[in-house]
Amino acid sequence: MALKKHTAASEDHGIDLAPMLDFTINLLIFFIIITSFVKEPGVTVFRPIASTAEERPSGNLMIAVRENGDIWIDRRQIDLREVRGIMERLHVERPDDSVVIIPDRAARAGVVAKVMDEVRLGGIKDMAIAADTQAHGG
Amino acid sequence: MRLKRRVHADHESSTGIDLAPMLDFVINLLIFFIVTAVFVKATAVVVNRPTSFEQSTENDSKSIQIQVLENGEVWVDNRSIDVRAVRANVERMSAVNADAGVLILANEMAPMDVVVAVVDEVHLGGIYNITFSTNN
Repeated sequence: MALKKHTAASEDHGIDLAPMLDFTINLLIFFIIITSFVKEPGVTVFRPIASTAEERPSGNLMIAVRENGDIWIDRRQIDLREVRGIMERLHVERPDDSVVIIPDRAARAGVVAKVMDEVRLGGIKDMAIAADTQAHGG
Repeated sequence: MRLKRRVHADHESSTGIDLAPMLDFVINLLIFFIVTAVFVKATAVVVNRPTSFEQSTENDSKSIQIQVLENGEVWVDNRSIDVRAVRANVERMSAVNADAGVLILANEMAPMDVVVAVVDEVHLGGIYNITFSTNN
């Protein structure tokens, strides 16, 4: 008699998994979106230091300019003349994208200026120059 | 009739969809995406680029001009100054002309760390309207 009552009670008050599942699927969708949006340059550059640099959460398209003038987007090296076409394509895919140009500390201002011009010709007006707020490198 | 319905309801509750295997699967996916996620915190400074028709008017006396030379020297008002002195110069000149923007005129070969350091100093001097131009 006591046993029967116990099993009936445990069946009725089992943990309801549905809210946990909702929450977990939301997290899952969040991480899927994050992974597909950020385009990393794929090379290590030492960023300049600026204490007033602000965090840009929407900056998801990164262009690295190395000290020898090489330009990297999305883990491959490209020519300056290719930048415009790539920007046009990405701007059509996702118009909200913004560009962050990551120059090496020893990169030349002329190359960075030309990259900025090409990005703007490609239709993306929202861009910034990456800088670390502290001197920890990387 | 009443008895029948009660039996039916009882039957339904016992064969509800079991969410546990789906949850296992979803949590596995979640862990996979957390592990592979790239957490990028992009900190950056915003500068303008002059458009082609603006270049004729950029030499007006309103904007504060800062030159960065090929060797990293910084020139303001025909004087070579230290990067750390840019802030004081910008503050002095913006006191005279309150809504002046800053034009950074960098040599094509000027290193970016000096340019960004100048941008930083100008920000500290209180001006965020910065135009970044290059010459050779």
